Amino acid sequence: MKSDCRKAQAKVYLYLDSEMGFYRRWRVRRHLRLCPPCADGFSFESKLQQKVREDCVEDVPEELLDRVKVFLRDNGPTNPSADPTAGGSDV
Amino acid sequence: MADQATFESDVAEFIPQLYSAALRMTRNPADAEDVLQEALLKAFRGYHTFKTGTNLRAWLYRILTNTFINKYRQKSRRPAEVELGELEDLYLFKRLGESATGGASRSAEEEALDQFVDSDIKAAVEALPENFRLPVLLADVEGFSYKEIAEIMDVPIGTVMSRLHRGRKQLQRALWQVAEERGIGTSS
Repeated sequence: MKSDCRKAQAKVYLYLDSEMGFYRRWRVRRHLRLCPPCADGFSFESKLQQKVREDCVEDVPEELLDRVKVFLRDNGPTNPSADPTAGGSDV
Repeated sequence: MADQATFESDVAEFIPQLYSAALRMTRNPADAEDVLQEALLKAFRGYHTFKTGTNLRAWLYRILTNTFINKYRQKSRRPAEVELGELEDLYLFKRLGESATGGASRSAEEEALDQFVDSDIKAAVEALPENFRLPVLLADVEGFSYKEIAEIMDVPIGTVMSRLHRGRKQLQRALWQVAEERGIGTSS
């Protein structure tokens, strides 16, 4: 595999996640224009991500939404000392 | 400062996706509902600490993720950081490409992808170790940025990146096993 391909492929996730700066992104895009096999590979990865997204989303049963509503109403009293985002920092 | 009186209507639109995420985290409906309810209760009680105008969705996912981690860490006695071996980039694409017989058409690999059913993908996601499953869920299913995931999971952004990238490759390895068992990619 050519080193240009290797470099581009190493950045596939940063590229697809839009987590790279303009210049590096432009360089990857330029490589993809010149290299159809890498372009296919990137397209495949993108399609796989989309598939993961679609397949992992679940329809929520109506009864569950109703139970949650009832639960929230039954547990209404406020507790101003709680910080809900605290804890679990040792991930 | 957010108003508790509007909590229910403010969060209503996020409840289905929070449940869906909880289901992928816990891997079963009863635990998912428990985690969801506990997280919503914490969110409700702490809603006055939420700054109106900031990202409510990310705030809720942070609470959900913490609730899940706290609940299940206790159960499983703090699993050791699971190490996954390094896999090459574009792992599944290359495996499917190698196995395609005859003159592989331009989109042979993408066609092979269509042969995975949604339960294959769910099972592969759920089989990921927790450290890798969470970033994959938060990025690929929920669409959060690396920075948001770092805040949700309370880990450095570099850790998010490495776990997410390795988690995705691990997912691809699991899918490749399915493909081999079922002959996906070899029949076209």
